[in-house]
Amino acid sequence: MMLLELTGTVGMIGAGIGAGLAAVGAGIGIGRIGASSVESIARQPEAAGQVQGAMILMAAFIEGVALFGEVICLLEVLK
Amino acid sequence: MKINKSLFLVILGLFLASAASAQDDHSHGNEPFTAGEFKAGETMLHHVLDTHNWHITDYPVGKNEKGERLYKALEIPLPWLFYSSEYGMQFYLSTEKLLASGHYEVHHEKVYHKGEHDHGHDEHADESHDEHSDEAHDEHTEAEHAHGQGKIYDFSPTKTVVQMILILGILIWVMTRVAKGYKKNVGRAPKGIQSFIEPVILFVRDEIARPYLGEKSARFLPYLLTLFFFIWFSNLFGIMPFNSNIMGNISITFTLALFTFFIVQFNGTKDYWQHIFAMPGVPKPLWLLITPIELFGVFTKPIALMIRLFANIAAGHFMILALVSLIFIMGKGGESLGGALGIMPLSVAFTIFIFCLEVIVGAVQAYVFVLLTAVFLGQALAKHDHH
Repeated sequence: MMLLELTGTVGMIGAGIGAGLAAVGAGIGIGRIGASSVESIARQPEAAGQVQGAMILMAAFIEGVALFGEVICLLEVLK
Repeated sequence: MKINKSLFLVILGLFLASAASAQDDHSHGNEPFTAGEFKAGETMLHHVLDTHNWHITDYPVGKNEKGERLYKALEIPLPWLFYSSEYGMQFYLSTEKLLASGHYEVHHEKVYHKGEHDHGHDEHADESHDEHSDEAHDEHTEAEHAHGQGKIYDFSPTKTVVQMILILGILIWVMTRVAKGYKKNVGRAPKGIQSFIEPVILFVRDEIARPYLGEKSARFLPYLLTLFFFIWFSNLFGIMPFNSNIMGNISITFTLALFTFFIVQFNGTKDYWQHIFAMPGVPKPLWLLITPIELFGVFTKPIALMIRLFANIAAGHFMILALVSLIFIMGKGGESLGGALGIMPLSVAFTIFIFCLEVIVGAVQAYVFVLLTAVFLGQALAKHDHH
């Protein structure tokens, strides 16, 4: 019984850490995309529209991977 | 100007009230109930899950003998429509009428034949049930043997379905007006609602469809526009008071992703399939490695679409509810006025901020869903003439 409760708690901690790590990863990725796209817009303001489109597309891919992680963590807590 | 300000305050109040009124969503029937202990997690889950009634608010109706406040729920009951293997097609106007029929019981928004609900799987079963669980279980298994396993297929128009039909109606009304406008104002500037929708349509055509689909964009533009407006309108209505957010329901985003999946597969060119099953320009033994990965990618793309939209919208609602719940947590369910008042300005300010963010997120997620659909379609349609 003790052990059962302990594994449940460890699962919760794991889910919390996992959710945080997924957010950190997505933050680093989207931050790098944002930095470089702002830089390229500054260098070439006339291409701003195209750069923005590419930026959102790339951010969406990274976000997708991060959300996979978040959903798995959520399932761990809710099961 | 003064009217505008007070109108703004009223609308703001409605927004906050609708978030707060999600406090208790249990189906109580007509019986008055006590507020009980406030559990933020349960409240938040109940708010985003699908229900068989349209909960508007709870209102106080005096006190019971212990001096606890009693509440009644103000809600619109939604009908039950299901096929039972024992009684055939069934239709009941509300959960109360369903229970009054005596053949069924309802647990967690699911209908069961009386006595066939397996309490062993019900984590939230009352303590009193647990005491007699062995006894009760025997009875249940006996009952199941007697009746056979009764199957129920539920087609009820739940809150999400009703909200979806509402949004479809609004979309049809808006879009027919826009279409009529184009017939009437030939060669003239757009008028009324037409001038609001036209830039959005042009944006989808010029920024999404044409760059990624090229000459075939006209063929898929209707699908892309339908997707965009359906997702965008649903997200906008989802954050309005007394509306339900249907994109925070994974079945809806699953269906949308399924449409994209089939449209991409059915329009895939020979080159598209060749790149999946027999990647050109790669040593043949490597196909063993590449083909499973490519095949996996076919399915992960729509799954990512589904999860992205669902998680973004659901997470926004969770955040709003968590911030509103802070007031109840700090106020200890009405015992500590100081705590509630102390956290309130912070909570309300952040809630308004998240609401504003949600307006943007709703549009961006609609854009991203449609953009990725166009990108996947573009990949499937592309003809490679290298190698």
